[in-house]
Amino acid sequence: MYKSTSTSQTEWEWEIKPQTTWYGSSIKEIVSYKDLIYRLVRKDFLTSYQQTLLGPAWIFLQPILTVITYVLVFNRVIGLSTDGIPSFLYYLIGITLWGLFSDLFLIVSNAFTVNAAVFNKIYFPRIIIPISLLLLNGLRFLIQLVLLIIVLMYYYFIDAVDIQFSNLLLCIPAVIITAGIALGAGLIFSIFSAKYKDLLNLISILIRLFMFVCPIFYSLSMVPEKIKWIVTINPLASQFELFRYGFINKGEINPYNFLYSTLFMLTVVIAGIFLFNKKNEELMDIA
Amino acid sequence: MSDIIIQADNISKVYRLGTIGTGSLRQDMQSWWNKKVINKNDPFFENDRISKQHIWALKNVSFEIREGEVWGIVGSNGAGKSTLLKILSRIIKPTEGIVRGKGKISSLLEIGTGFHYELTGRENIFLSGHMLGMNKAEILRRFDEIVAFSEIEQFLDTPVKRYSSGMYVRLAFAVAAHLEPDILIVDEVLAVGDTAFQKKCLNRIKDISRNMGKTVLFVSHNVVTVEQLCSHAIYLHNGVVAEKGKATTVVNKYLDDVNAHMLLTERELAPGVSLEKLDLGSNSIDSGDNLEFKIKVKFDQKPKIRELALLIYNSKSMRIAMIDLRPYFEYITYTDTHFYYNGLIRKINLVEGEYYIGFFYFINDTYKDIYDLKRITIREKPTTGTLKKYDTPYRGLVELEHDHL
Repeated sequence: MYKSTSTSQTEWEWEIKPQTTWYGSSIKEIVSYKDLIYRLVRKDFLTSYQQTLLGPAWIFLQPILTVITYVLVFNRVIGLSTDGIPSFLYYLIGITLWGLFSDLFLIVSNAFTVNAAVFNKIYFPRIIIPISLLLLNGLRFLIQLVLLIIVLMYYYFIDAVDIQFSNLLLCIPAVIITAGIALGAGLIFSIFSAKYKDLLNLISILIRLFMFVCPIFYSLSMVPEKIKWIVTINPLASQFELFRYGFINKGEINPYNFLYSTLFMLTVVIAGIFLFNKKNEELMDIA
Repeated sequence: MSDIIIQADNISKVYRLGTIGTGSLRQDMQSWWNKKVINKNDPFFENDRISKQHIWALKNVSFEIREGEVWGIVGSNGAGKSTLLKILSRIIKPTEGIVRGKGKISSLLEIGTGFHYELTGRENIFLSGHMLGMNKAEILRRFDEIVAFSEIEQFLDTPVKRYSSGMYVRLAFAVAAHLEPDILIVDEVLAVGDTAFQKKCLNRIKDISRNMGKTVLFVSHNVVTVEQLCSHAIYLHNGVVAEKGKATTVVNKYLDDVNAHMLLTERELAPGVSLEKLDLGSNSIDSGDNLEFKIKVKFDQKPKIRELALLIYNSKSMRIAMIDLRPYFEYITYTDTHFYYNGLIRKINLVEGEYYIGFFYFINDTYKDIYDLKRITIREKPTTGTLKKYDTPYRGLVELEHDHL
């Protein structure tokens, strides 16, 4: 008698039910894990340069060495034009944004596989991991942006390269859209790569090929009309142009392309978050 | 009577076999192509029936836990203990049913979850603490206690990869032990560390439950610990609650079942023929002693015994010896309902350890190996010399007799 009444009187605080929701955890729950997010970013930042010769200097060295290679190959050997801009600056702009995209995309695609052991033993909202990776790569990008601005200032004062400082704000939407596409696509791939381990090999090859349809070491205006659709269908292409326009005033900007990229980004981010929330618990059964 | 803090209502968990796929995109696509497009048998699943099989890891498990109670969960391997803990820890979802509860849950399904080898002890305390659900203020408040409990003060700023395994475990448990949940879930983590540390961990769990009034759920193979620590217990058998209630009652029922499975009051060998008793006289003997055994088999009709043998297995299920009884069939005695055979194995010169007595038979038209009829402990032979013996893994399986020439 007492038992049945006591059950009905009790106010439950939580429930564990078979159904999974698309939207996952509440914002309030995610905020309550803010200390964990901070620690995860800190952990990744501290550990990625441990036991390396040059330590955090790699944040700068990586883009610089890449750019030097591209300058040698595309500019000196092949002889691609860089619109009258010093090739080092021209490539560094593209590489900085590309670094954000490829690093974020690859690390998020791997998030589930890398963290499966932890996911299997402990509960916290799984989306915490992609959020911390986004912040980590955002931080790394900001540091590289400092390098880019130093180089930009050098060319502005020494080489008198024309820079419209008011245009710099145009970089912000380009960065947000690029990071959004990387995160959303990464979330989608993280679910598939947890199920199909061989997908990760494929992804790393695809991303290298994908780099060539992004206008990093060429500009959209240089692409022959006949094959231009291959580049413009790529939602990232217009963002590279926009980002470069922000710094050096060169490039094609087209509002339709921008709208297309924005819609693409929103779709991919929402689909990625939904899929990640809905499928991650199912994956725990097979991980 | 205190409030109910967790209520599990008919929770079940099904694992589907086969539908998971092969884990490789190429093979999954090939399977799909074969099955759906060209209607051929799937080369990766020999028949389709297997791929539709389900396994109920848990079936209709219900219980109510009141605030401040300490519950033990017992059961043999594969009984569903871990699945239940994972559902309660929100790692996996139940297939059916619902769990309702109040308060904050922390679960320790493994020691050192979230630890990173490259980071220092200090960094790991924060990282692991946050993962387990503590916020920064809580960790800071208890930081000194955690360090003192783990006894690693001087290594706090050393990367944990340079820790000994004992230090690592101590630090990991120290973080976990200072959680402040309303409900603590602990899975077998005490199987690590030295005896002194295990004792410390147990005392901490006792402390959490008795002095702080927290609710604890505790899974262990060690029924003695469950009996000491827990007020209540659940006994899971093949995913079903076989018994729940007072810890001593449940543990006794569990032990009865385990022994019944081993001792077998009766086991059917062939239609109308069943083994009623295999008596070893004693459950433990010294290495080198003789072992007497008595077999008693019940039958409806006098059976035709074609083959009979006693088998000895070690704890790793490796067959150590066979005692062939075919030459001794004339010594089998019959009554109207039973046959008996009594024998003696001379000088069991096995290295000390746990062994299982099994049975091979071919009676009427049925033949079979049974490998877990009885467990027997063989103790170390009392030594006369002063030399200390090597540890058991080095000594192989058998103690052979030897003389110098």
